[in-house]
Amino acid sequence: MKRRKPGKTLIVGYGNPLRSDDGFGWHVTRNLVPALAGCEVEVMTCHQLTPEIAEPLSRCQFAIFLDADSRGSPGEIHCRKVHPASPQPGAFTHGCTPAHLLASAEKLYGSRPQAVTLTVSAQTFAFGEKLSPVVSAALAGVVEQIRHLVGAGHSRLPKRSATLERD
Amino acid sequence: MRKITIDPVTRIEGHARITIQLDEGGHVTGTQFHVTQVRGFEKFTEGRPYYEMPSITARICGICPISHLLASSKACDAIMSVRIPETAALLREVLHCGQFVQSHALSFFHLSAPDILLGMDSDPARRNVLGLLAKQPDIARDGIALRKFGQQVIEGLAKERIHPSWTVPGGVNAPLEPAVRDRILAGLPEAKAVVYRALKLFKGVLDQFKEEIEHFGNAPSMYAGLVDASGKLQLYDGGIRFKDPEGKTVVDHVPACDYAKYIGEAVLPFSYLKAPYFKPLGYPAGVYRVGPLARLNVVKSCGTPEADAEFSEYHQRCGKIVTSSFHFHYARLIETLYGLERMEVLLNHPAILDRQVRAHAGVNSLEGVGVAEAPRGILIHHYKVNEQGAITWANLIIATGHNNLAINRSVEQVARHFVDGKRLKEGMLNRVSAVVRAYDPCLSCSTHASGQIPLRIQLLGADGAVVDELKSA
Repeated sequence: MKRRKPGKTLIVGYGNPLRSDDGFGWHVTRNLVPALAGCEVEVMTCHQLTPEIAEPLSRCQFAIFLDADSRGSPGEIHCRKVHPASPQPGAFTHGCTPAHLLASAEKLYGSRPQAVTLTVSAQTFAFGEKLSPVVSAALAGVVEQIRHLVGAGHSRLPKRSATLERD
Repeated sequence: MRKITIDPVTRIEGHARITIQLDEGGHVTGTQFHVTQVRGFEKFTEGRPYYEMPSITARICGICPISHLLASSKACDAIMSVRIPETAALLREVLHCGQFVQSHALSFFHLSAPDILLGMDSDPARRNVLGLLAKQPDIARDGIALRKFGQQVIEGLAKERIHPSWTVPGGVNAPLEPAVRDRILAGLPEAKAVVYRALKLFKGVLDQFKEEIEHFGNAPSMYAGLVDASGKLQLYDGGIRFKDPEGKTVVDHVPACDYAKYIGEAVLPFSYLKAPYFKPLGYPAGVYRVGPLARLNVVKSCGTPEADAEFSEYHQRCGKIVTSSFHFHYARLIETLYGLERMEVLLNHPAILDRQVRAHAGVNSLEGVGVAEAPRGILIHHYKVNEQGAITWANLIIATGHNNLAINRSVEQVARHFVDGKRLKEGMLNRVSAVVRAYDPCLSCSTHASGQIPLRIQLLGADGAVVDELKSA
């Protein structure tokens, strides 16, 4: 199996791009190409996390999961460190989480990256391909945060959770 | 009279509920398999241009959108009255093989392997793909790799894994690039190795499931599947063959446009899922099965050497006509091998890289039918349009629908054998769910939602009060 060089970052944007702010991860990834030019980064988007992601996850040193959050004030950005966790009783593929994927990467492929979730509190999950104005306004801040995280690697990981200020 | 409800049935695509009727002695007196979701694609597509149908109907499902794309595109080809370029047909079939590989891998490794490898009576909280991952990481890794390979085939050809727009009326919208072909060909040996490991594993545990094999929908029925002109397995094209329970061909090479002469659709009062039946025998006598088990019963061979070797062993082990629905799993693995071999044949075809991949035309017929084998069985899209090409009527008969009557009968057989209302155990009810999973039903497709809620089983007293309840994943 081809191994990635140390330092590789995997960015996973997930959610339903047809449900307004739930497509936040997809929208962010579209803005990342110019921001991350020259960085060793792989970007993927998906509707939900699945066990298949454990394999590419195991081949990187740092991972960022981008998602919308139904909690908090709309537009609020949270950066949280992810700790590997075994599946809870009753967990199923539809309930795969970043923590499960980290544990799976280690169990199945022998290594796991440092990882964070970068989420924005959503205003609406209604049908629609556009983000709400308040979430859309948070995009630039998130892209900037990713640029910093990728540039600094895990040395800039938050200890637990950090809420970022909005303009 | 008491009643047990399994709501919802888990590790399937879509929502279903099972009710089991018990007498005062705790014996099963009857069962019903209810599909509890409704979609309505036939109705809300009315008025849409026919050429939008592949993209719209692909949204019926996130697991097998390719099957809908193909059946829909074929129905549109018929409306346009075109014969699509040879290369387009080859490419569509490669795409279809990729979908079979990923869908069958999902069914076997992610959904059913927990029952087979962890045990029907194992801890329900761990009896899932993540439990498999913890207990048997090699198998989980294989399952992930095989499904990923199938998805990469789809993504390589169609640029998107889910709901791609590459398959269009008249062909496909872009030719195959040599680098993509080479990448797929390079991945085939390892994908085949995974299937061989799974086959060896499955054959090795068969003896542990004698009771399940004997009682998991092990009853005579008719079988239906697509075959080519010489009677070999066909997934993308071909005519419909019906065989009777003894293996005699009753009707052969039914063209897509004639499906309605042989397939009727009954409505069940307890389910949103219709119940297709073999029309000449009427309802409910005309129960038939489709999908991997049925396909390997109707064909004379697979048509590729490695799958044919497994096909021979399968029939030697299980009989000329394989009746137990438990063997859907076995047949599914053989078809996965076929899909990989067939991909290799198609990708080495001299015309595979040709650039002419689409025929253009307008409305030349006011009606079109498209038929293909979806991973779960025969898929039929039938459209009528007006002269402007707007859909005026649509009928979709989905693979899981064909199996509805058989699933109902299988549930009853399993419940009657395994369920004891006086000493209810989760494992008994898991077997009832497992026989449904053997069919790998795709209920979101067949009723025209997906999701997961913990399994809930309630034992109700004669007065309707809950006297016992079990929950599982």
